Amino acid sequence: MTDYLSLAKILIEIGILWFVYYGILLFARGTRGVYILRGVILITLIFVITRQLGFDRINWIFTKIFALSILAFLIIFQQEIRRGLANIGQRRWSRFFLKESEIISEITTTCFLLSKKKIGALIAIEREMRLENYIESGIEIDAKMNSELLITIFMPNTPLHDGGIIVAGERIAASGCLFPLTQNPKVLTTLGTRHRAALGLSEETDAIVVVVSEETGGVSVAIGGRLTHDLDRESLERVLSNLYRPDKKDRK
Amino acid sequence: MNNWMTNNFWIKIVSLVLAVITWFYVNEELIKEKNMVKQLYKTSTIRQIQNPSYNKKPVK
Repeated sequence: MTDYLSLAKILIEIGILWFVYYGILLFARGTRGVYILRGVILITLIFVITRQLGFDRINWIFTKIFALSILAFLIIFQQEIRRGLANIGQRRWSRFFLKESEIISEITTTCFLLSKKKIGALIAIEREMRLENYIESGIEIDAKMNSELLITIFMPNTPLHDGGIIVAGERIAASGCLFPLTQNPKVLTTLGTRHRAALGLSEETDAIVVVVSEETGGVSVAIGGRLTHDLDRESLERVLSNLYRPDKKDRK
Repeated sequence: MNNWMTNNFWIKIVSLVLAVITWFYVNEELIKEKNMVKQLYKTSTIRQIQNPSYNKKPVK
């Protein structure tokens, strides 16, 4: 009985540590912190290996570097850490109360209104991976989602219409954001910059990127480096509701 | 369930490995600490048995 209890304790402790590490890695994935985090993980692994092999002097050096790198991490990324801690209280939990269908409906309405008028649009929807880097490249908006605002942003000859919009949770996080262009040589040369940017972002992150073509008015979706062309309203709604919250099926 | 497993699969694996390493490292440190305390207790007890005046403040 005591054995089972201590085993359960160990598993719970490892589970807690796993949860914390997963949260940190997930948070750092979309920010500049990922590079320094990689360094810290590498130093930790070397530290553990040298310790196990009994290389005392090397271990001593790495212990010192490890202590310094944690300090450096805290100083250099204090802004990100502050933002992350603030997000624990705000964003993650607000997702449970999100009116998902309303957001999907607003995005779909926007895309098809813009499609009718042949106005180009690029909308990235954040999922598990954070898009902080890309939000920083644009102009922060942080406004409640509504189709009127989205349409206004994409109106030609306005200051914010260039670049893409990022939707994070139930809010429009930023507009005029720069997305990486795909480097995939297999991508058709007929595709414009907007579609290439959509593909590029979907290759590097898990975001869903919706594109409205300026030339044809066609609505496409890029997910995981794949582009699906010329969707109708129903298909777009279906794709968005299936992918917007991947844990949806599990919770039923 | 399958979705949960495949989403960010490598991040989950890396974080699990780190969690296990951290647990073993901290466990080892705790055992060391306990042993050290035991050792200190033992030596002070032995010294007290050998020399009863050890650790006693001199009476003025």
